[in-house]
Amino acid sequence: MTLFKPHKMSLARREALAGYAFIIPWIIGFLIFTIGPMLASLYFSFTDYNIIDPPRWIGLQNYARVFSGIPEYFKTGDPRQLGDPLFWKSLQVTLYFASLALPLNLILSFFLAILLNQKVPGVNVWRTIFFLPSIIAGVAVTLLWIRILNPRMGILNPFLQNVLGIQNPPGWLQDPNWSVPALVLMSLWGVGGSMIIYLAGLQGIPTDLYDAAKVDGANAWQRFWNVTFPMMTPVLFYNLVLGMIGTFQYFTEVYVATSGTGGPQRSTLFYNLYLYQNAFRYFDMGYASTMAWILFVIVLLLTALIFRSSDAWVYYEGQLRGRG
Amino acid sequence: MKNKLFRLLALLALASMILAACGGGATVTEEAPSGEAPAPASEAPAAGEKAKVVIFVGFGTGTDPDQVAAQEALAKKFNDSHDNIEMEFLIVPNEEARERFLAMVAGDNAPQLVGPHGISTIANFLDQWEDITPYIEKENYDMSDFYGPATTLNKYPDLNAGLPLGLYPSFIFYNKDAFDAAGLDYPTHDYADTSWNLDALREMAMQLTLDADDLTPNDEGFNPATIKQWGYADTWTDARGQLTMFGAPTKGRPTTDDYKTATFNSPEWVFGAQWLHDGIFKDYFIPDAAGQSAIDADTGDPFGGGHVAIWYSHTWYMSEGLNELPFKYDIAPLFFNQDGERISRIHADLFTMPKTAKNKDAAWEVMKWLVAPEQIVDVCKVYGCLPARESSQEAYLNYMKERYPGIDYDVIFTAIDYLDDPNHESWVPEWGKVNDTLNNAQTTIYTEPELDVTNLMNITNEDMQKILDEYWAKQ
Repeated sequence: MTLFKPHKMSLARREALAGYAFIIPWIIGFLIFTIGPMLASLYFSFTDYNIIDPPRWIGLQNYARVFSGIPEYFKTGDPRQLGDPLFWKSLQVTLYFASLALPLNLILSFFLAILLNQKVPGVNVWRTIFFLPSIIAGVAVTLLWIRILNPRMGILNPFLQNVLGIQNPPGWLQDPNWSVPALVLMSLWGVGGSMIIYLAGLQGIPTDLYDAAKVDGANAWQRFWNVTFPMMTPVLFYNLVLGMIGTFQYFTEVYVATSGTGGPQRSTLFYNLYLYQNAFRYFDMGYASTMAWILFVIVLLLTALIFRSSDAWVYYEGQLRGRG
Repeated sequence: MKNKLFRLLALLALASMILAACGGGATVTEEAPSGEAPAPASEAPAAGEKAKVVIFVGFGTGTDPDQVAAQEALAKKFNDSHDNIEMEFLIVPNEEARERFLAMVAGDNAPQLVGPHGISTIANFLDQWEDITPYIEKENYDMSDFYGPATTLNKYPDLNAGLPLGLYPSFIFYNKDAFDAAGLDYPTHDYADTSWNLDALREMAMQLTLDADDLTPNDEGFNPATIKQWGYADTWTDARGQLTMFGAPTKGRPTTDDYKTATFNSPEWVFGAQWLHDGIFKDYFIPDAAGQSAIDADTGDPFGGGHVAIWYSHTWYMSEGLNELPFKYDIAPLFFNQDGERISRIHADLFTMPKTAKNKDAAWEVMKWLVAPEQIVDVCKVYGCLPARESSQEAYLNYMKERYPGIDYDVIFTAIDYLDDPNHESWVPEWGKVNDTLNNAQTTIYTEPELDVTNLMNITNEDMQKILDEYWAKQ
């Protein structure tokens, strides 16, 4: 005798249930540890909150502080008219860094990937050599570069002087005009990560396309420009989006290199560093939360812009241009 | 089924939002650097149970391995002699101390004591400390044995932050070998000798500055790009610390007495900034930013590494391996400034009690024990400070003479008479923001050879005034 008749579920329903069961731990973690703090920070951005005492609601004052004084600035050209000149300074430093580091990283990693995609002896060794530095990142690499770039004791300036004949090499991290380029140079250490992704992309290009191009009489440059590059645009797009987000999150290296000051003369006061200073040095978590949300909106807009532009330059095999 | 799951997820989302929005402290704790948190010592102990007193070490000295071992020994000594209180040191790396402390306070798990730390940390977290005046008054605690300055440096109108533990007077260290090689007389040890002033220092320091070819800035062909030994440096301090010696009316505090007006561009400090800039880029006897980074990359120790012949610092520098130097050295008083005044800045350490800490009575007992005449010398040996009790001077002097023989110890004790009060680390509104603004000017002085120093000081003063105005507008 059967007391309970088992309820029969369809296969699709059982699969759906299993799927939800598998993802629910992640979703719970995501909601509690990501969405929760995000929403909390959104709330804090409307408060005066010093971390220790309870937050006090102040409405849009933190946002007003960021955006006030802009008309006066445009009238006078004096950045000190701005409500918070350092906010704009930090944004400017970050954009300057992004404008140098992002293209250089994309181009260099692509170039290396093409070189390492050639059939040369020992290519796997070379690939390992170029990839290895990207595994070692963060504080250790920054300390290494601080020594390399030291204007008096480092190895770079003697190389520039004695090998390249540059008589007055830069002061790098000690020179406000060269500190950001120095960090850009430092960032190239990690191109191996993007390089590997490009390399995988290059190896996924069907060889029959090259064969067909050769039959049509295309030379090496034409094969690169008309076959390799279009086929690699999805990978380029991927690296561009991640790289852009990465440059806006730049923090550890500059924190270590400048002991968290953003010096010399605030030339390396990156957005995230200034955000950190507000949160943990000036105990203004409300304003730091405001900065975090403004950064979120900036990155979201730039990402949307890149996605929007992708129709014009990213090629997906089998996709008709302009048909999403 | 799908609807139910979505409802469940929506509920979870809502719950997480509410939790996150209400529990600000919890959020901060999650974001703080990970590490082993101390066992909560917040609840009042049950009968027969020991009250726990956690001492948060990390804002100042106390994190070196030998200091950790010495602190454990102190804790054992205390715990063995007390049945009702258990003392425990929580050692936090300096770079994590700020976040960890904030997380603990926000999480209602404040340590019972914090320290040893100096005037700057007390100023930086001024609102967080318990005023110990009621404890002193309740017991009529005898403060007469403490050096006078030690009792005032961390005292504000509404706050006496803690019982004095130690002082760190300042003076110059000089490399006798470098002086001998240059054929120069050593600096005077006579505090009354007014000829020992800025001009004398400059002249001496220029003769002690050497490039790769052993030429001084006075010699033709001197190459500042290859300097291997600078004459003078005072680089292990911030803008306020460096300018204090030049004698503004409010000494080390760049505001008026009501804290409402910035005085960073006082004539004395403008003079001082110009003097420093000239010393760096005109007379070359002070290392510029690149020179300092070279020292950091080499030994990291300007004086001990032989990079600087005259080094202005505090007694805490003596624990940086001073007894292992490969050259002869001694100490001398700081020189007089341009107005014939000597202001020899000072640091002062103590233990403080956070306002929100539990077991405060037990914390008070531990605070007293740490600075009691029976312990203070041992505690100061751990942290390298001069005991704040006059009665302990002899015992500490004997210890120091054994450890660092051949030094003129009168220089150290007399330096206390010339301290900076208001202190260069003392509170100003928006302490962190103000100091970052002033330190930005300091880095400009050290990095810009072509600089209108007066203009820099005026602009910085305007920036500081803006910060003060914003602060007072919120009060």
